[in-house]
Amino acid sequence: MTQSPAITVNQVAVAYDSKPVVSDVSLAFPAKQITALIGASGSGKSTLLRCLNRMNDGVATVSGEITFHGVNINAPQVNVYRVRQQIGMVFQQPTPFPLSIYENVIYGLRLRGVKDRSLLDQRVEESLKQAALWEEVKDLLKASAQALSGGQQQRLCIARTLATRPEIILLDEPTSALDPLSTNQIEATLSQLKKDYTIIIVTHNMQQASRISDWTAYFEQGKLVEFNQTAQLFINPKEERTANYLSGKFG
Amino acid sequence: MKKIELQNRLATILILSLAALAALIAGGLVGYLLASGLPHVSWQFLTGSTKSFASGGGIFDQLFNSFYLVVLTLLVAVPLALLAAIYLSEYAKQGPVTTGLRLAIEVLSSLPSIVIGLFGYLIFVLQWRLDFSLLAGAMALTILNLPLLTRACEDALRQVPQLQRQAGLGLGMPKWRVTTKLVLPAALPGIITGAVLSAGRIFGEAAALIYTAGQSTIAVDYANWNPFAPTSFLNPLRPAETLAVHIWKVNTEGLVPDAAAVSSGAAAVLIITILIFNLAARGLGKLLARWLSR
Ligand SMILES: Nc1ncnc2c1ncn2[C@@H]1O[C@H](COP(=O)(O)OP(=O)(O)OP(=O)(O)O)[C@@H](O)[C@H]1O
Ligand SMILES: [Mg+2]
Repeated sequence: MTQSPAITVNQVAVAYDSKPVVSDVSLAFPAKQITALIGASGSGKSTLLRCLNRMNDGVATVSGEITFHGVNINAPQVNVYRVRQQIGMVFQQPTPFPLSIYENVIYGLRLRGVKDRSLLDQRVEESLKQAALWEEVKDLLKASAQALSGGQQQRLCIARTLATRPEIILLDEPTSALDPLSTNQIEATLSQLKKDYTIIIVTHNMQQASRISDWTAYFEQGKLVEFNQTAQLFINPKEERTANYLSGKFG
Repeated sequence: MKKIELQNRLATILILSLAALAALIAGGLVGYLLASGLPHVSWQFLTGSTKSFASGGGIFDQLFNSFYLVVLTLLVAVPLALLAAIYLSEYAKQGPVTTGLRLAIEVLSSLPSIVIGLFGYLIFVLQWRLDFSLLAGAMALTILNLPLLTRACEDALRQVPQLQRQAGLGLGMPKWRVTTKLVLPAALPGIITGAVLSAGRIFGEAAALIYTAGQSTIAVDYANWNPFAPTSFLNPLRPAETLAVHIWKVNTEGLVPDAAAVSSGAAAVLIITILIFNLAARGLGKLLARWLSR
């Protein structure tokens, strides 16, 4: 790999109360690539993902270093709101706010006090186009976001995250609540987005990981077992535990 | 028939008949009160003022006092309950402080209202020198309603999906903004429902008011909108007999010849108003929920 990483975790460990769930994970996420986090339920994928934009604040204790643009964003004095604007997150279920489609997309911008109408209009169009939703909703921007289908809502949430122009997008099983068609659309969207963004996605769907990701990290019981290019990891895993997991998954 | 089916049928019959009994008692009571009271309710009764010795007195002052007291109490109680609920649902961590707070709320909710009335008399009326006043009554009723209102608000806040909060935080919203901009609007219908139900309880309360808002009404001027003027109808420091207190008083020491008629007429008005509050609570909550989720 020649490109420098977008974000690096170094000896990160996470504990809920005093129960350790992630231990000693070190990993460099390549920039402008899709990295998939896979592993059995409870292996700590979501927990690790949430560390990357400080969503574990007040929920779990995170130790270790997380370096983003040379800054350890896991340090207590770091402005977490800035971090979350630069490292956006999309959740397992669509989370539209009870507002219009337009207002949903610019929610993060409004939050930052952006008032310039033309800028907002432009961002809405750009973000919706990037999220591959523009054609479907361009005539109903003022309609309620909650009237959209689940897949459309999820792409709206991606657009909402994109509107604040983050560098990294974290997705935690973004298609697990969606039908196959919507899943395909989201996957196509993500493949488009990696031109401009670093994408880190948690998924239980091995086909999905192999289809869209460039890199894959396999976790077991809070530990990173193997990290490699997706093709390598799937076809020729170096660790036996990875091989066992994959053969169990593909059957 | 199989044994289990028989048991099922018997249990269903038992449950249905008990429910019917409860409905019958409640319905009968309301029906009786309305049937014996409504014939005495007239426009003159609703808009006239009380007479001390002669018959034909009305309940306008008491009716107004009750409504005004509802407004004053909710003005104090809703912000308090909402803040407590926000703390409990959004900020409180599991621990002795939270457990203690919840216990205090439980205990408060089981205090008899006459005890709260006497407490209000000792503290608000005597110690704080508020005398018998709407304000003292409103504060006593705040204590009375705080537990239920807090719980209603907390339930409403907890109904808001956790994921909405996560989404807000994920966009870089500070927690207090997530609470005020995302959680609170979504919880508003539930909060309004709780407040309107409380309004019904306030409207019907007598025991907590006898020694706080008082049992007498001074002659007030309904044209004087200055709440600081002693005779203004809006002055919160004037004594004010409410409708429920009036019913109690007419029954215990009424000197008017038509005391029975006044009391049953007032009771009918009271019941209808509380009924309206309850219906409004549902309707308003639903309406608001629909409007907010457009
Ligand atoms: N808020 C929490 N409080 C306490 N323990 C938690 C919390 N969230 C997760 N855990 C625990 O941490 C461990 C890892 O959870 P995590 O959600 O990161 O796993 P995951 O790999 O994302 O699993 P899944 O595939 O089911 O989403 C689990 O044992 C889980 O029970
Ligand atoms: Mg998970």
